[in-house]
Amino acid sequence: METAFISKLKPLVNAIAESMDVYIPAKVGEHYACRKYDAKGATEPELNGIRTCTPAKEFLFPLRELAAVFPEPVSPKQVKPFAVVGLKACDLRSVEILDKVFMEKDFEDPFYIARRERMFAVSSDCSSPGESCFCNILAGKPYPENGFDLNVSHVPDGFLIQPGSPKGKSFLFAHAALFGEVPDALVAERARFREAAQTQLVQATRDFPFDAPVGEIVERGYTSAVFDEQARTCVECQACTRICPTCHCFYLYDTKQQDYFAKMKMWDSCMRIGHAQVAGGANPRKMLGDRLRHRLMHKFAYFFERYGIDMCVGCGRCIDAETGDVDIRTVLKKLNDELLAKGQKAVKAAT
Amino acid sequence: MTRNLYQPMNAEIAETIEESPTIKSFVIVPDTQFKFGTGQFVELTLPGEGEAPFTPSSSPAMAEKMEITIMKAGRITGLLHECGKGRRVGLRGPYGNGYPVDEFAGKHVYIVGGGVGLAPIRSLFLTLVDRIGDFKSVVCRFGAKTPDDFIYKKTLFGDWQRLKGVEMKLTVDKANGNWDGHVGVVTTILDRKDVDIASAVAVVCGPPVMMKFVTVSLLNFGFDPKRIYLSMEKNMSCGFGKCGHCMLGKYYVCKDGPVFTYEQICKYPNIWE
Repeated sequence: METAFISKLKPLVNAIAESMDVYIPAKVGEHYACRKYDAKGATEPELNGIRTCTPAKEFLFPLRELAAVFPEPVSPKQVKPFAVVGLKACDLRSVEILDKVFMEKDFEDPFYIARRERMFAVSSDCSSPGESCFCNILAGKPYPENGFDLNVSHVPDGFLIQPGSPKGKSFLFAHAALFGEVPDALVAERARFREAAQTQLVQATRDFPFDAPVGEIVERGYTSAVFDEQARTCVECQACTRICPTCHCFYLYDTKQQDYFAKMKMWDSCMRIGHAQVAGGANPRKMLGDRLRHRLMHKFAYFFERYGIDMCVGCGRCIDAETGDVDIRTVLKKLNDELLAKGQKAVKAAT
Repeated sequence: MTRNLYQPMNAEIAETIEESPTIKSFVIVPDTQFKFGTGQFVELTLPGEGEAPFTPSSSPAMAEKMEITIMKAGRITGLLHECGKGRRVGLRGPYGNGYPVDEFAGKHVYIVGGGVGLAPIRSLFLTLVDRIGDFKSVVCRFGAKTPDDFIYKKTLFGDWQRLKGVEMKLTVDKANGNWDGHVGVVTTILDRKDVDIASAVAVVCGPPVMMKFVTVSLLNFGFDPKRIYLSMEKNMSCGFGKCGHCMLGKYYVCKDGPVFTYEQICKYPNIWE
């Protein structure tokens, strides 16, 4: 079954909730956060116009989890199938990035994989990208093209539901009675909405035109003073990395329970001063500027070299979460301008 | 379910050996056989307390047990030093690349070590000695702060000095007792004539400041940066290139290292910190 039409979201979400737990965006203050869906609830599910505040990684790589029990290993709890509704194109890309790390051949993380295999991804178009969104700079779009099981697009008087995987297709097939035919006019409407969102994004990022690929800008700015300058206001809150949907540093620690020992795995941040420190006290990234450089190099150069994809999706969460006013777009822009100035100088010298 | 990367294998401390005032060796017997390559490292868990990375100091040819030499440097190593025979521990690994011993074949192997850096070097040394005919020579230059600070004293001052195909010189920063050997930091016993540099590889392991100055000396002697092998000490935590703590530029020291050529890492700042 190809794209289908449904006039209300509730029957769709209820149908998904028949066979699995569903997490759906709900407005919390000015942001959206995912909450467990209650099919018996009276409220109509709401579609988020912009990505949720918290990153999709929390469904696959939770803040804290049990990594091992010993001396007697126990089999981990079976993960039940679950659905996440309202994922955006940037979220789907972030999952693709995490897959590279946690599903890497010979080094598969069993906990990630168990969740990944059971996640039913229901994405949706961005109807109102935020001021901090900059996915378009990194070749992203405000609507998903792949990586989802179902994608939902808001159109006049209803929603278009597009399957993106065999799982999504069989869902639509099994619930065919819920859906109607899709008039061509609605497909055209969807395209129009998508274009409007794209225009809005371009408008929001007009102050950040880059003259070279971001990876090149960062790599060639490796020795730039921009990192130290921009890190000057950083208060090391680490919110940028924790809320980042692609940052995946973690910390392993051991605990003692009554009759067993456990190894725990918890999110960590490369912006933390002790992150790279060794027991003898040596620390290759003592200064905040060094850590900011490492964070950007990892995102745009090192990760790309290893996995062929940037480790940033331009969701702008780090910008919203920052306490210390460090804006990744500004850092990139300043590096870009330095590079441009260097280039112009070189041209001048040559002529 | 896929094999759990985080699950330690159970093991037991079979013996502890005092090496120096701050360094102890632990003979560890894993419950099931555990194979490693020389220069690879393991994560040793002290149950309920934490884990830390160590490169075994024994020969990989010894399958039923391994030795790990540990300097008291932080919380976990401090607690490990209090552990005695019979203490149950956990082991994960082996991780990393280890020394490319086969690439050393047909060459002089120039080994420079200092302090507890002799631990990984001992494993390499024993591996080389097992097939000594494969190498032009094995030339060792080892240093310690004082004679008491040398580890593996019995073999270092004894058998190892008399092995065929091996040439060894020792030095201390500060002499005491009956020491009648050389006094001075390890770079003072390095000489460009020690080996034929054109057909040699160098292996360096020790405290970061020592590695830095030894590398400078080796480069001055004319060593190719591609042939200087450095064992890097970083904060290796997961062991398989995910947790991010040990990143050195683009490399995960735990997965791409811990042995790097100087050429691989020289462009990054603060490699010795």
